[in-house]
Amino acid sequence: MSSFLAFLSSIRWQDIVDILINSYILLRVYVLFQGTNAFRVLVGITSLWLAQEVAASIGLILTSWAIRGITAAAAIIIIVVFRNEIRSALQVRNIKAFLWGFPSREQQTPIDVIADSVFQMARKRIGALIVFPGNQDLGEAVHGGIPWNGQVSNEMLMSVFWPNSPVHDGAAIIEGGQITEVGVLLPLSHRQDLPSEYGTRHRAAVGLAEAADALVVVVSEERGSVNVAKDHSLTPMQDSRMLSQALKKHLKMPDISPVRQRERERLKLAAAGCISFLIMAGIWFGFTRSQDTIIALNVPIEYVNRPANYDILDTSVDEARLQLLGSSALIKSLGPGQVGVRVDLSKAAEGRNTFTITQADIILPPGVSLNKIHPASIDVTLDIPATKELPIQVDWTGRLPENIALTNVSVSPETCRVVGGSKTIEKVNTVYTSPVRLDTLTKSGSSTAMIVLSPPSLKLAPSCSERVTVHYRLEEKTPSVKQ
Amino acid sequence: MRYLAVLSLALFCITWLVCPATAQEQAPANAEAPQKLTLKKGLMCERVENLTPIGPGLVFSVSSGQVCCYTSFDPVPQHTVIYHRWFRRDELSTQTRLRLYPPKWSTYSVIQLRETDKGPWRVEIIDQNGRVFDVLRFSIAD
Repeated sequence: MSSFLAFLSSIRWQDIVDILINSYILLRVYVLFQGTNAFRVLVGITSLWLAQEVAASIGLILTSWAIRGITAAAAIIIIVVFRNEIRSALQVRNIKAFLWGFPSREQQTPIDVIADSVFQMARKRIGALIVFPGNQDLGEAVHGGIPWNGQVSNEMLMSVFWPNSPVHDGAAIIEGGQITEVGVLLPLSHRQDLPSEYGTRHRAAVGLAEAADALVVVVSEERGSVNVAKDHSLTPMQDSRMLSQALKKHLKMPDISPVRQRERERLKLAAAGCISFLIMAGIWFGFTRSQDTIIALNVPIEYVNRPANYDILDTSVDEARLQLLGSSALIKSLGPGQVGVRVDLSKAAEGRNTFTITQADIILPPGVSLNKIHPASIDVTLDIPATKELPIQVDWTGRLPENIALTNVSVSPETCRVVGGSKTIEKVNTVYTSPVRLDTLTKSGSSTAMIVLSPPSLKLAPSCSERVTVHYRLEEKTPSVKQ
Repeated sequence: MRYLAVLSLALFCITWLVCPATAQEQAPANAEAPQKLTLKKGLMCERVENLTPIGPGLVFSVSSGQVCCYTSFDPVPQHTVIYHRWFRRDELSTQTRLRLYPPKWSTYSVIQLRETDKGPWRVEIIDQNGRVFDVLRFSIAD
């Protein structure tokens, strides 16, 4: 009991928010994609992934590799094959609907009104073509529509398909409780087995049913018959009840009262929300709470907030060795930028400063904790930048012939300005060139050499050249030569 | 009159006490202007024989075994000391205290060379107050 309470007390408010946000994202994915084939395939891919994890955990090497390959291929295939469904699911009218919209709040299609209107038009020999889209986007299959966005009613449908209406020849698209478009041109079917009495209107209905998962209701102007085109079939409708059934089946509307249906939707969403929460909580605890892996990392130390008037002259260490504890999934996914040691120099003074590395100085991703750090403290020496004019001396190397003496040397320029920390530069009184070989010297002359600054923290002033000219004079050895 | 005689006697005594009696090389002193210790000659050489520098140069082989810093001061107004401070790169390697005696004086310091002494060197010639007379730069090579 006490361990459970300790566990509960260790949960931060950020952890709760983390789980809730991701649960809601999962719920939104379900809401947007529910009922689509893409969602079913997505569930299948998730099952494959779980199977792969299980196979890997029990040591089925080949099986886990095979399932991993299939999962990767399936993930690509789902995007290609179901691109229209994915687009339809994500194409919502506004961001609010994308983030908050629930199916229960969407307007229900007035099935009975439509069915009655259709048979009323059939009796009056008014031709009609009404499209009920499925999950697929119809954008690529149809064209030429006029936006309408009118509430579905008997009068509205009658007026659209009235023979004198300028849009009566095309199809009307009904989504939810609205006629969204009228005068829409549908693709014609090229089937040869359709009865000869079927005209262009029937061929258009079958053509769209073949191209997409929409249901098309077609009313014959000549015979007053009603047919429903779905997939590859054209089914005659005997009465409005039969049409209602076909529409409800297509629109996935259960044959129950709207109140019961709303309640059922709410329950379904609540269950989906709970399942999303449980899945995310499980994933979160699996990711962050299991402290089963320890890793040691060498992390470069970052020195921040250095006082503007100081330079960092020296540090006792450049990197720290961190021993981190966390779940294997988190530890494996650690990136170079996620872990860091940052030492705040804002309170540092001139000279040597010792800082003890605390938890606050270490940057870790959530869920990963520090087990050990080495070294526990670091020394940072700060200095004030200074400039000094220093003579340049040649660093001769090699060997001169026995009878030759180097009697005069001059360097051009004779001095150079060096920039560095005042404490460092105070101890430096000469700068030296790169080694100049004596073996190659046979007569007086000149050569060039580079300036080599030591310690490397020193820099040449911008006005000074890194290269100098060395003039030298060689003479036969004599007892006394003035330097 | 008596007062002047006492003053003259005191000045004579002071002059007798200050002037060195063991100068290595005697020369007439310039009594008119206040004299200042001056480095007349300073050079690096392989050795010094009878206060004469032998084998002067700016590069010395480590195989020669030693190197000398020869300095000659003229004038030397009074008995004093100078220092030869030997630096290898910017590290003080050794420091030699040398006495100078009026009216002029030549002296030298010497270091024994080892393989590890290769590199650029300098010798600072300074008085006891830290005034630098000269800096002699040279190298120890193969």
